[in-house]
Amino acid sequence: MELLKMAGILFVINALTIGGGYAMIPMLQREFVNNYHWLTNKEFIDAIAIGQVTPGPLTVMNAFLGFKIGGLAGALIAMAASYLPCIIIVTLVTKFYLRYKELWLVMASFAGIKPAIVGLLAAVLIFLSQSSITGSLTKGIAVVSFALLTFTKIDPSLIIIASGIIGAFLL
Amino acid sequence: MPTLKKIFLVFLKIGTFAFGGVYSMIPFFERELVDKRKWITHDEFVESLAIGQMTPGPPIVNTGICIGYKLRQLKGALTATLGQSFTGTLLAILLAAFYLHTKDNPLLQSVMKGVAAAVVGLLASIVYKMLIKLVTEYRSAALAAGAFIALDIFKVNPIAIILAAGLLGLVLYRRA
Repeated sequence: MELLKMAGILFVINALTIGGGYAMIPMLQREFVNNYHWLTNKEFIDAIAIGQVTPGPLTVMNAFLGFKIGGLAGALIAMAASYLPCIIIVTLVTKFYLRYKELWLVMASFAGIKPAIVGLLAAVLIFLSQSSITGSLTKGIAVVSFALLTFTKIDPSLIIIASGIIGAFLL
Repeated sequence: MPTLKKIFLVFLKIGTFAFGGVYSMIPFFERELVDKRKWITHDEFVESLAIGQMTPGPPIVNTGICIGYKLRQLKGALTATLGQSFTGTLLAILLAAFYLHTKDNPLLQSVMKGVAAAVVGLLASIVYKMLIKLVTEYRSAALAAGAFIALDIFKVNPIAIILAAGLLGLVLYRRA
């Protein structure tokens, strides 16, 4: 029952993940942490990190969420539920490409959703930083990570791994 | 016409070497599918990228689904998804099992404290980049600010906020 509920939630969230994988985060945080208490806030942040260091899109973090809730079956159901909306929508769009391209409804609603996601992510960022930024060292790691990712082309996985190593020695 | 096994193996390769975010995959994708194997033309590739961008979900996986569909219809789409997500999912499951077993280990806790701080920096960078790219005039600024206030202050469910923003988009960007 729990897994079915999770699958339904992941299906809806992934159908609304517009403009990149990070759009999932505010929705996942609300449903998995606040509403259903399937994960703690800390586990959720760790799930984002795991989604980032594994190859492929951030969606892979949903396997972690599913595993926490229902083991191996949970992880596989989570991934299937996450990709199902993509498969349905993309195959339909590929089939009817020309008609879709001219569909102003899609373009206009996406144009509304994308900036809203920036606002949502900013709110989640404030919330997550309250539990992750606990002292001057964590603040330093966050600031340096921000600067490196914003102003260089360095691989985010490397920054996460390096920060983990710094944490092992100093935190 | 490539077999499903070949489709699986090519997308497995693409999905396995895609470290560092999805955009690193695009040149790799084009080399494998257009130049090397000639499964699709350059124009089809560009069209697939466009479809990947304007559908919900990870753009690059969606591009793969689109190419898989062009090659072998629904079976091809499913095979491409499976191949592309295989390695990442497997690794995430292994990491999840390891993480949940050793969660109380003090060393892992120290590691994850550093990692959590980096995630904050990473998200901040994403927000900053998206802000510059997407919030360009008063309508998008109002939508971003409205969504922020709705979540941060009024604790409205983000799913509801996204649906509302989509409806507002229909009104605000009708002529776009």
